[in-house]
Parts: sequence; C-alpha cells; structure tokens
Amino acid sequence: MSLDTSSPILVVDDYSTMVRILRNLLKQLGYENVDDASDGSQALAMIQKKQYGLVISDWNMEPMTGYDLLRQVRARAETVRLPFIMVTAESKTENVIAAKKAGVNNYIVKPFNAQTLKGKIDAVFGA
Amino acid sequence: MGSTARSLNKPAKKPGKAAKKVQPGPVEVANDELVVQTIVDLGDRLKNSSSEQMTLTDVISVAELLTSSLQPLLRRIDVTLQKELRGILMKIESLRQDISKVHADDIADNRIPEVGKELSEVVKATEFATNSIMGAAEAVLAAEDKPEKEYRELVTDRMMAVFEACSFQDITGQRITKVVDTLEVIEERINILCEMMDSHAGKTAPVLTESEKSKEKQLLHGPTSGGASQSDIDALF
Repeated sequence: MSLDTSSPILVVDDYSTMVRILRNLLKQLGYENVDDASDGSQALAMIQKKQYGLVISDWNMEPMTGYDLLRQVRARAETVRLPFIMVTAESKTENVIAAKKAGVNNYIVKPFNAQTLKGKIDAVFGA
Repeated sequence: MGSTARSLNKPAKKPGKAAKKVQPGPVEVANDELVVQTIVDLGDRLKNSSSEQMTLTDVISVAELLTSSLQPLLRRIDVTLQKELRGILMKIESLRQDISKVHADDIADNRIPEVGKELSEVVKATEFATNSIMGAAEAVLAAEDKPEKEYRELVTDRMMAVFEACSFQDITGQRITKVVDTLEVIEERINILCEMMDSHAGKTAPVLTESEKSKEKQLLHGPTSGGASQSDIDALF
C-alpha cells in the first residue's frame, strides 16, 4: 500500500523556502494536493477542519512546535493514527527518541533529497 | 571632677573638624563639639596660665576630663569602622554573585566556539548547495544534443537536485539565527558586567526578560554539529 497521490498532504514549516521545496519535491513524486501551515497551531486548526492523508512537519516553529503539534495530534481520537513525518534539522538523538515516543511515523533530517522523502513516505505506508 | 574641669565643660560655639568627618547623629555631634571645644578651651587655659598657678587637682581633673570625653568618641569610631567593613564585605559578596550570573566560562567555553561551528557549517552548506546547483546547470547545458525524451528526463532530474540543494537556505537560516541569538546572549551578559561596573551602589544583575529567556531556550534547539545522521535515525525506526 502507498499513499494515494490525490490524498491531501499538509506541510508545516515556518520557512517559506522549505515549504516551496517540499511542495516541488512532492509534486515531482506525484503528490499535488498539498496544503501548508507556518506553525503547529495553524496546522492543528487545519487538521481539525480537513482530513489529511499525511502531515510532514518541521520541529522548530513558533508559537507551536512540530513536536507539540505531534503530541496534540496523537492526543485526539480522530487523528491518533494520522501519518506524521518529521522533517527537521533537529538531529539530537534524544529529540528523535522523544518524537518517536510521541508517535511520529518517520523522521527525516535536513538537508534531505527526494529519494529520502520518497523512501520515508513509502516506509510509512508500507509500500 | 574639680571646679576647673566643670568651668571648662561648657557648650561649644563652633563645630570642630573632627565632628564633621564622622557624620554621627545630632546628639553625637553635640557631644563631639563639646569634646573638641573642651580640649580647645583647656589648651587656651594652659597657655594663658603660668606653671606656678597649676595645681595637681587641675592636672588630674584635666586628665579625667580628657579620658572620659574621648571614650564615647573612640567607641563610636570603632562601631562606625565595623559598619563600614561589613558594608564593604557585603558589596564584595554581591559583586561576586553578580559576576557568577554573567557565566563568563560559559561564554568562553561554549557560546563562542558554538558560534564558530555554526558559521563554519553555514559556509559548508552554502558551498555544497552552490556546487550542486552549478552541477545541475552544467549537466543541463551539456545535454542539449540528447534526444528530446532523454533531455526532458535529465532536466526533470536535475531540477529535483536544484530543489534539494535549495534546502540549504532553511538550515543556514536556522544556524545564523542561532548565531544572532548567541551574540544577543553575550551582549546581554556584557551589559550585566557594564551595569556592575557602574558606580551606583546596590546595583545587581538584571533579571532576564521573557524574550531573552526564549532566546536562551531556542539556542538549545535547531541544527547541531555532530547530531545523529539520517542512517542513525533510520536505525531507531
């Protein structure tokens, strides 16, 4: 099973350049239904309104971080199983472990390439 | 005390220098003035009297007067000195505490080397991105003579590489933000030092504001030198 290319994906990053890069890479991988948010709280509001197939989130954002977003998402019954990939420069082992414990499905360290992104999406969806 | 001593023991008309220096309370000033005036009067009296007219009683009375008058003054000087020394001690202690708040060791051992590392990583990342983008451009230019289908595929592939390379902006942005935050923390600590050097008494190190605390907290996050690699992370999953 892989993620349906028409399934909406939410990209959460406070750097507009990174949002653009992710949008373009996802487009190249066949995913064109992409929304974006600039922090966790904006993303959470969007998740409550729309059913996403995947969330790809940065860690360091203000006011709500990607880690806090992940915990909020996992705390809600409707989104407890929402696939969530962290794409971040935050590479401290303890943070990766914390994210894993909080229920992240996969973790990509920046900088990354299209193959890594594709590989992690496929891994999450068991393709 | 004899009649001579009593006659000398009258209120002073002008305050003496000694009374001005010690800066005691109003009652103590009056006593100091009295002591000084008594001694001045005694000196005048001795000067104006011939030695034949001085009796033993006079001498004893003068000695008694001098001793008893000087005792409170000496006791008070002792208390004042003690107070001043305690004040100096407290100032030194307060200064020591303020200096410890500056965390000079942290600046020298952690902050400055960290800034150097971050900037070095920025240089590496921009160099890598530049080479990747230039490499992609060169590959596209060199493929002009290829068949259209092959050319299209190559352009798409190389454009993906350009997108990937552009991710350096996010990471270098975070690294430079960390450098700026570090410089602001150092600036804040230098300000604390400057304020301590200020001659105003009783100044202590200012408490960090919420925004400064947030900057300190942010320094603990973001890109790190020597963090886990993608393969290390993959092993955890």
